[in-house]
Amino acid sequence: MINIQFYSLLRLLLKREKFELPAVVNETVGQLLQRLQQQLATPFLQKLLDDQGTPIPGTIIMVNRRNIHHLEQLETQVQDGDVVALFPPGAGG
Amino acid sequence: MSRFDLKGWSGKLLRVDLTAGTCTDEVLNEQWAKEYLGGRGLGTKYFTEEVAADVDPFSAENKLILATGPLTGTYGAANGRYMVITKSPLTGTIASSNSGGYFPCELRYAGYDMVIFEGKAEHPSYLQIHNNKAQLMGAVHLWGKSTQDTEDLILAEFHGDAKVAAIGPAGENQVSFAAIINDKHRAAGRTGIGAVMGSKNLKAIAVRGTGGVKIADPAAYREAAIEAYGMLKQNPVSGQGLPALGTPVLVNVINQLGALPTNNFQKDTFDGAEAISGETLASTYLKRNKGCMGCIIGCGRVTGLAGARFSGDGEGPEYETLFALGSACGVDDLAAITKANYICNEYGMDTISVGATVACAMELAEKGLVSEQEIGMPLSFGDADALVKLVEMAGQREGFGEKLAMGSYRLADSFGAPELSMSVKKLEFPAYDGRGIQGIGLNYATSNRGACHVRGYMISPEVLGLPEKLDPQATADKAVWTKIFQDFTATVDSSGVCLFTTFAIGAPQFANFCTAATGAEFTEETIMEIGERVYNMERVFNLKAGVDPSQDKLPKRILEEPISDGPLKGEVNKLDQMLPEYYQERGWSAEGIPTDERLQTLGLA
Repeated sequence: MINIQFYSLLRLLLKREKFELPAVVNETVGQLLQRLQQQLATPFLQKLLDDQGTPIPGTIIMVNRRNIHHLEQLETQVQDGDVVALFPPGAGG
Repeated sequence: MSRFDLKGWSGKLLRVDLTAGTCTDEVLNEQWAKEYLGGRGLGTKYFTEEVAADVDPFSAENKLILATGPLTGTYGAANGRYMVITKSPLTGTIASSNSGGYFPCELRYAGYDMVIFEGKAEHPSYLQIHNNKAQLMGAVHLWGKSTQDTEDLILAEFHGDAKVAAIGPAGENQVSFAAIINDKHRAAGRTGIGAVMGSKNLKAIAVRGTGGVKIADPAAYREAAIEAYGMLKQNPVSGQGLPALGTPVLVNVINQLGALPTNNFQKDTFDGAEAISGETLASTYLKRNKGCMGCIIGCGRVTGLAGARFSGDGEGPEYETLFALGSACGVDDLAAITKANYICNEYGMDTISVGATVACAMELAEKGLVSEQEIGMPLSFGDADALVKLVEMAGQREGFGEKLAMGSYRLADSFGAPELSMSVKKLEFPAYDGRGIQGIGLNYATSNRGACHVRGYMISPEVLGLPEKLDPQATADKAVWTKIFQDFTATVDSSGVCLFTTFAIGAPQFANFCTAATGAEFTEETIMEIGERVYNMERVFNLKAGVDPSQDKLPKRILEEPISDGPLKGEVNKLDQMLPEYYQERGWSAEGIPTDERLQTLGLA
């Protein structure tokens, strides 16, 4: 299974902390997000991705606590047992 | 008398001689206003012109300056900020601390850009300002009161619509990290400015103003405001993220990244992060969000506790507080953290420094360097009840609180272990470990007031990816980015606008605002140059004060002890790879001294 964790606005929007999906061979983060959207009734992808499907500036997506920006972006592959954390843009000080 | 013809600024400052008990109006220096804008820049210009760098922070010769910017109290972005400038008793450096709310705007509406306090009052006093008139009042009846009670009493005896900035018992007791609290819950928190105010027997400043801010070109200003408003609303950080969850949203982000300092920086992931996160706060103690005057972001957190152990109402905790009173102390009890935050606001204390100092004490106890008898209670990481008790004792300087009130460096040093103070220039670190995020480490080392994140918020590019994503573990290009962030922040701090607007708007928008408001011409280039001028002016003061470049360093733990856990395990800060390039970018000598040529270019020599 892949453990997907929701933070910030996503948690308020989806009213859940996490969701599990069975792993699919050779799946990327981008494909996983599309599959997740199909499973959830509430539209949420617009909080993370722009109209072109690229992450909105400030969005942080981590796979096993590594930011996909420093991996293969949305082409980063996910596999069974991975933890994917989704953070819509936020900031602090 | 000199003239002040520009708009935007009120063109007038109030000089209060506490020794003589007099209040005098002065025309603001117009040339300085154009070169240093206001707030941090103009306040520091006046301070450095009038006060010797070697001044004892608690002497009558030290001054305390409250400075707004030309945009404070105007509409359009988040323009409710002011700065307090003095010499810090905690760091020995120039001190300037920023706060927002309604008080800063009221000062503008009462006719003043700035208030300069000098000397020392014979008895506890407070200042009343009512539309261009000021007088000192006795404050014996307010001495010892919390900041909130002080405000309530002043409103009852002065004016019900006045806005108040006050110190609490911590400032009176000259706790080295005492803050000035305005509007009951907003803190000019860092570097001990409240202790300087207390040393002058000055309890509060109460202002009632019904005037406005004169704008040079209202049509152009309106255009700039509409543009900025749209950018702030459309930006996902300022338009959605900060309003919904405020700064505490970062607890889970930084913990996932592996850079949330825990147990006095002995770990960088915290098992209790979820329990103290912004998401948990939103579902427990949060009542609503709140903005400073005219703010369309509204990041403030209005909270309430109604439990058997802790009760009360207030604002906070912010992200930094959740770190300092939370993970840094190993405390995962959100109610206890919130209560300790309330105590800090009531006593007037910086939540970062007091929390980090308690965390330091916890490590001293863990290592057997301080005994249970000396502390007066058992102390270990994770002890929420001890945390709440020690925070109050620090504010009162009671028992072991006397030691805590010195700050973490002097505390650790007094027990023979200064290396356990997680600080730079004796100012405690905020909530990001510079071992895993290289640029923020460089900023901490070179910040003019010690380890401060909001002097050059490298977290924005290194973690959040704004305006573009940098690799937090890389050292390349961090020097140039740090300089840009430090300089632009100095300008923003001088304008009266909140730093959080800069997630959405940049130097071009600030140039438009300042030009339209004042009638003087500002460009993107001059906006950045003002910041660089301010930064170098602060640096020169620090050098004269004896804070030399050898203090541009990080604690041994950050440089030599690799992170022990989490995804960034094994990382240390590589300051030596960044610092020479940073000095070069600044046009300073290889030893970190601003060159005459650079100072002349900036109009500082």
